[in-house]
Amino acid sequence: MENTFDPELIRAIFKLVWSRRALERERNEGTENLDGEVGAGTSKKSRPTTANANALKLSSELLRLFITEAVQRTATIAEAEGVYKIETTHLERILPQLLLDF
Amino acid sequence: MQQIEACHNIVGIPQEWTIDMTGLMNPSKRSCFWKTKRVFFVTPQVLEKDIQSGTCLVKHLVCLVIDEAHRAMGNYSYCVAVRELMAVQIQLRILALTATPGSKQPTIQKVIDNLNISTLEYRNESDPDVSPYVHNRKLELVQVAMGKDAIEINNLLLEVIRPFVSRLCAIGVLHNRDFQTLSPCELLNSRDKFRQAPPTAVPHTKYGEVEGYFGVLITLYHVRKLLSSHGIRPAYEMLEEKLKHGASARLLSKNEVIWKAKLQMERSLSHGAPNPKLSKMMEILTDHFKSKDPKNSRVIIFSNFRGSVRDIMDSLSKIGELVKATQFIGQSSGKTLKGQTQKVQQAVLQKFRAGGYNVIVATSIGEEGLDIMEVDLVICFDANISPLRMIQRMGRTGRKQDGRVDILLSGSCTLSSGMGYLRKQNNSKAVRKHMRNGGMHSFDFHSSPRMIPHICKPEVQFVEFSIEQYVPRGRNVKDDPEQSSFIDKLSETEAELITKYFDASTEGTWIPSLIAFPNFQAFPSPVNRIMHSFRTGMLIDAMQHLRGLSLSVDIKNPLDEGAVSPCQWLEPDIVTEGDKNGKDSISIPMFPQAHIQRDISDEALPPGIRSKEDIYEPDSLAQKPPHCFLFAADFVSIDAHGRVQIASVPVFPLVRKASSNETIKSDSKELLNCMKQDPSPRIFSVDGSETYIHTKPNLTNSAETRCRNQGSELISCLGNCNDRCEHLLHGLESTVLKTPTFAVNSEDNTLVTPDTAKRPPTLFANESSSDCRDVELSPRLTNFMERGVVPESPIGETSNYSHAKENMASISFQCEDVFRHVHPKCSEKTVNNSTVLSAKISNCGVKKINFLAPENVSPAKFCTVLSPNCLNTEGNGKVRMNSGLSSKAYVSASLSDGKIQTPLCTRRNSANARECMSDSPVNEAIHTPLVDLKNSSCSEDWRMSSGEAPENVQQTRKFKRLRKYGDFGGKMPSKTMKENYNGPIKNLSRSFTSGKSSPPKHIGGKQKELFTHAKDFIEEEAEVSSEVEVSGDEEDDKDNSSYDDSFIDDRINPTAGSTQAASGVDMMAIYRRSLLSQSPGDNQLNCLTNFSPDSLQSARPAESGSCFSEKVKYSLQTPQTGLHSGNLSEGSNSVSYQMGLEKNSLFTLPGENDSLQREECKTERRKRKLSFIQVGSVPNPCLQQEGLFQSLATGTTSYEVQPASNDTNRDAAFYDDQFYESLDFDAMEAQAAKLLQLKPEVPTERKQMLNLSPCIEEGHRLNSPSFDLGI
Repeated sequence: MENTFDPELIRAIFKLVWSRRALERERNEGTENLDGEVGAGTSKKSRPTTANANALKLSSELLRLFITEAVQRTATIAEAEGVYKIETTHLERILPQLLLDF
Repeated sequence: MQQIEACHNIVGIPQEWTIDMTGLMNPSKRSCFWKTKRVFFVTPQVLEKDIQSGTCLVKHLVCLVIDEAHRAMGNYSYCVAVRELMAVQIQLRILALTATPGSKQPTIQKVIDNLNISTLEYRNESDPDVSPYVHNRKLELVQVAMGKDAIEINNLLLEVIRPFVSRLCAIGVLHNRDFQTLSPCELLNSRDKFRQAPPTAVPHTKYGEVEGYFGVLITLYHVRKLLSSHGIRPAYEMLEEKLKHGASARLLSKNEVIWKAKLQMERSLSHGAPNPKLSKMMEILTDHFKSKDPKNSRVIIFSNFRGSVRDIMDSLSKIGELVKATQFIGQSSGKTLKGQTQKVQQAVLQKFRAGGYNVIVATSIGEEGLDIMEVDLVICFDANISPLRMIQRMGRTGRKQDGRVDILLSGSCTLSSGMGYLRKQNNSKAVRKHMRNGGMHSFDFHSSPRMIPHICKPEVQFVEFSIEQYVPRGRNVKDDPEQSSFIDKLSETEAELITKYFDASTEGTWIPSLIAFPNFQAFPSPVNRIMHSFRTGMLIDAMQHLRGLSLSVDIKNPLDEGAVSPCQWLEPDIVTEGDKNGKDSISIPMFPQAHIQRDISDEALPPGIRSKEDIYEPDSLAQKPPHCFLFAADFVSIDAHGRVQIASVPVFPLVRKASSNETIKSDSKELLNCMKQDPSPRIFSVDGSETYIHTKPNLTNSAETRCRNQGSELISCLGNCNDRCEHLLHGLESTVLKTPTFAVNSEDNTLVTPDTAKRPPTLFANESSSDCRDVELSPRLTNFMERGVVPESPIGETSNYSHAKENMASISFQCEDVFRHVHPKCSEKTVNNSTVLSAKISNCGVKKINFLAPENVSPAKFCTVLSPNCLNTEGNGKVRMNSGLSSKAYVSASLSDGKIQTPLCTRRNSANARECMSDSPVNEAIHTPLVDLKNSSCSEDWRMSSGEAPENVQQTRKFKRLRKYGDFGGKMPSKTMKENYNGPIKNLSRSFTSGKSSPPKHIGGKQKELFTHAKDFIEEEAEVSSEVEVSGDEEDDKDNSSYDDSFIDDRINPTAGSTQAASGVDMMAIYRRSLLSQSPGDNQLNCLTNFSPDSLQSARPAESGSCFSEKVKYSLQTPQTGLHSGNLSEGSNSVSYQMGLEKNSLFTLPGENDSLQREECKTERRKRKLSFIQVGSVPNPCLQQEGLFQSLATGTTSYEVQPASNDTNRDAAFYDDQFYESLDFDAMEAQAAKLLQLKPEVPTERKQMLNLSPCIEEGHRLNSPSFDLGI
C-alpha cells in the first residue's frame, strides 16, 4: 500500500480522461441540441466528475497491481526473447489476456 | 470506531462480527446488521429507536454495555432502552461504565435505579489495578489578573447591579448578601423560590416587577462573568444583545450607567481589548511548544463559549507556525458563528491525529465522547464548570503519558471559581466515601439473576489470544486539491518515453494493438501474481479453436475436450448404425470406444513413425512406384501407430496409381484383380491372427514393384476383406458388417485399429460380389485415397507432381507442402510436448501458409462437435436411422461431396496428428459414414422408396455441411463456442433445403436414367471399379489442389475479414461459404474453394442489410472466382472460360433482379446456395459418366452450371412432376426439422424447396450444354 501511486497522479489522469469525455459529450450533444433547448440537463452535465479520496486510493492500488502485472508479464516475454528491454511489441503480446484478467 | 478497535485488539473480537451504527445509518440497513452481526456499537438513541421499532433482536441480546453511564438520568435513551429490555423479561447483563458517576449520592442512586445495577465497583487513580495505567497529571491553577479596562467595566456593572439587588433585598426575595459575590446561579435559585412561594408581603401586582429585576440581574451577572472569564468582547456582545432584545431591555435601557459601561467596553474593544487571560494562555502555549516537539505534541484548549473560542483562534493565529490551531465546536449554528457539521468535526479530528493541527480550541463538545487523540496539555480557559466536566476535560490528557492541565483563573473571580473547583473536589471525596466497599451501605441495588447455569462453575483460565491485525476502515479523507508535482518527479528517460508514445501535439499517437499477436493468445501467457481469469480462459480456448490447436492434453480445456469426445462417440455410433443399414437400431458403443482407446494409445507413437516414413519416401525414387512406396511407408507407419488409417492408406495407393497413370483403368483393374487374387494368400497371414503386424511385414516384403506394392497394400486390405468375406459367407452383408466390428472389438486395442481396415475390405468383398459393392468400394477407395493423399502430401512432392500434370499451380502445391510439412511437425511436437506445440504453432502463425494448417485442424474439432449436435437434436432412433440412410444415399448421390469431406477430414487428421484423439475418431467417423453411405446408396437407396432416399440425402447433407461449416467456422476468428453451436443449427436448416434439392436430383436421374448419379455410379462401377477409382483419384487430386487454393484464399480472406469485422462474419456468411464449397462437388472444387472466400465477403454486405448490393456482389464475384480458379487450375482454355464467365454474368444479373422481386434476401441467398449445390452435384455425376478427367471441362461446366442454377432459381414458374414428388419429401423434411426444433425456418425451407426443385432440372439442362463447351 505504501509504494502505490500518488493518488494525486491518479486523480490527474482521471481528470484528464473525464475532461476529454466531457468534451466529447459536449461535442456530440452540441450538434444535437443546437436547436433544442439547452436548459435542464446542462447543470448536471457541466458538473465535473470527482472521485473521493478513498476511491482514488483504491484506484491507485488497482492500477499499481495492473501495471506491475503488466510489467512482469511483459518482462517474461522479453526475457524469453533474450531482450532486456521491454518494447511495446512485448506488451502487445500479453495485453489481450491481461485486459481480460482484470 | 475506537471501541471496535479496542475490542478487537484487547479481546480479539473479530472485526466481521462488529458493527458500529449511528443515527446516520439507514434504519433498514441497521436492521440488516442487527441480524448479521454479533457485537454492536451503537448510540443510545439508535438502540432506543431500534428496540422500539423491533428491528433490534431483543431476545438475543446477552450483554449491554453502557458507557458514560452517568447520563442515565430522566428519560435519556439509556433509561428508555433499559426499561424496554427489562419489560421483555430476558436475561441479560448490563455493564455500565462511567468516570463521573455523579457528585451526590442521590444522583448515583438514580443511575443505579435506572440501569438496574446490582453491584458497584469503584476505582480511582490510586487503586492498585488502575494506577499502572494512570499517568501523572499535573494540575496547575494559573491566576490571571483582570485587565484595567475590565475592572472598570466590572465596577460599572456592579454599580448597575447594586440598586436592583437592594430593591430585591428590600422586598425580601433576595437575602442580603454581598452583591459582588452573587452568581447567576444563585439568582436563578432565588427566583425559583420566589415563584414557588412568593412572600406574602409582596402584592401580586409587584410580581412582574420582581421578575423583571431578577431577569436584569441574571443578565448582568452573566455579562460580568463573561467579562471576567472570557474578556470584554463576549461580554460586550452579550450586553448589546440583551439591550436590544432582552426582556430586561426596558429596565436597562433607561439606566445611564449601563450605557457608560457599554461605552467603556466599546472603547476598550477599539483598542484591541487585550485580554490578560489570552496573553497568559499564549505564554503557556509557546512555553509548551518550546519544550515539546510541536509536531508530536497536541494541545486542547477548552472554552465554554464560542465567542471566546473565536477570540482564542484569533490570538493563536498571531503566534505563527508553531501553533496550527483549529476550532472544534458543535453543530448548532448561532447567529454569529456557524457550527461545524459532523463531517467537518471528523475531518478536524482526523487532521489533528495526523498532525495537520496541533492545537484544538474546543467548546464542551471536546470534553467527552469523541475520539480525540491523547494530548499533552489541556488548557481550561474558564474554570467555573461542573466537576464532572472538569474531570472529563482532564481525562483528555495523562492517558498514555504524563500530561498537564492548566486552568486559567481570572483575577477577580479567583475566589469564586477556585472555590467552585475546590468544592467539587470535596464533593467527589464525599462521593468516594459512598462508593467504598461497592457502595453497599449507601445505595439500594437491584438483584439480577445468575445467567450461567449452576452446573457450570466458571474457572479462570488464561488463554493467549492471537489477534489479527486490525484493519482500519477507510475514513473519509478530506479532498485536498493541492497539486502534487508528479510531473517534476519524472526522470529524463521517463519523459522521453512519454513523449515517444504520447506526444502532446498529436494525441494518442500510439495505441497498443490487441490483435497484433493472435498466436500468443492461443496460450496462456505467463503470469506473475494475477492469475488468469475465466474470460481469459475463454479467449484462449477460442483462439485455440481458431488456430486449430485443440489442446486435448491441456487440462485447461476440459470443456472443449468434453465437447469433442462426445461428438466422436456419437459419430461412430452413427456410422455403426449406417453399417447396419439402419435396420438395427441398436448402436454399437463398443466400437467407438475401441476407436478412442486406440487413438489414445496411438498418440504417443505417431511422430517418430512419421519421421521414419519421411525418410523412407526419398528411398523410393521411382515416380510412380514412389507413390506406392510412400503409401506403403505410410501404411507401415500407420501400422506402427496401430492406427486405423493403415487400411485406408493401402486402399489409397491403388487409387493414386490410377490417377497418376493414364492407364489407370487397366492398372486399377489389375490391381483389383491382384487384390482379389492376393487376398487368399493374405488371408493366411490374417488368419494367422497376427493381423496387423503380419500385414506389415508382408507389405514391406512386397515392396519390390509398385504394382506389387500396391498389390500388397491391397492385399493387406484384401486380407482384411477376406476376413470380411468369410464373414460375409457366413451371413448377410449387414450381418457381416456387424460381425467384423464385434470381432474387432473382441480383439486387442491394437487389433481394434484393423477394424477400419476390415471395413474397407468388407467393402471390397462386396465389390467383388456385386456391382453395388463395387460402387461402395470405389467411394471408399476414394475416401481412403484422399486420406492417403493427405499424409502423402507432406512426405513428398512426387504426389504433387502427379497433380502438376493437371496444370495445377505449382505455387499452390508448394504452399500445401509447406503447410503440411509444418503441420506434421507441429503435430508431432505437440504430441511430445504441449508447450513445444505452442511455440511451434506460433511459428506457424508467423507464416501465412502455416496459418492454414491450424485452421484446418480446428475445423476438425468443429466438425466433430457439430455432427454430434445434429445427432443429439435428432435424438430419435428413427431419425438416426434416417440419417444413416441418408448419409449413404448422399454418398451415392454425390460421391464427390463425400470425397471432399473425407479429404478435408483426412487432412485435418494428418494435420492434427498430434490430436490423435480427436482426429482419429473423426476420420473413422467420416470413413464409416461414407462407406455406409455408399453401401446404402448402392444397395438401399435405389431399392428404397424415393421418399426415404430424399430424407437420407438430406441428412447426409447436413453432415457434410456441418463439417464444412465447422471447417470454415474454425477459421472465423471472432466466433465463440456458442456461435459455433448456433451455426450448426442454421446449417441443419440449410441442409434441409439442400436435401430437398438432392432428392429431386435422384428422381430426375431415375426418370431420365441418363444423368442420375446412382445409375452412373452403378454403370461405372459395374464396368470397372477402377474407373470410379480413377475418377475419384482425379477428383481427389483436384480436390487437393483446390483445397490448397481454397486454404490459401480462406486464410487471407478470413483473416482480413476477421480483423475488419470484429464481430466476425455472421453465421450466414459461414453458412454460405460452406454451401458453396460443398455444392460444386469434387470437380468444381477449385471454383468452390475460390467461391467460398468470396461468398464470405458477399455475405458480410448481405448482413449489413442491402440485399440488392449483396446479390450483385455475389454474382460479380462468382464469375471472378470462376476465372481465377480456371486460371489456376487450367489456364489453357481461356476461351471456354470466358464464355462461361460471360454466360454466368448474364445469368447472374437477371437472376439478381428476379430474386430481388421474389423474396427476402435471406431466402434468396439460401435458394442460391441450394441451387449451387444442386448444380454442383449434378455436373459431377455427369462428368463422371463421360469419364472426363480434365479439370478444364469440369471447371467450365461448373461455372456455367452455377449461373444456370441462378436462373433456375429465378424461374419460380418452373414446376415438375418431380418437384411435386419432392413435396412429400419436403413434408418429411419439415418433420425432421421440427424434430430439430428448427420450426421457424421450416416455411422458408419449403419455399426454397419449391423453387429449388425446378431449378435442379434446369440445372441439368444447363449442365449438358456446358459439357459440350468443355469438350
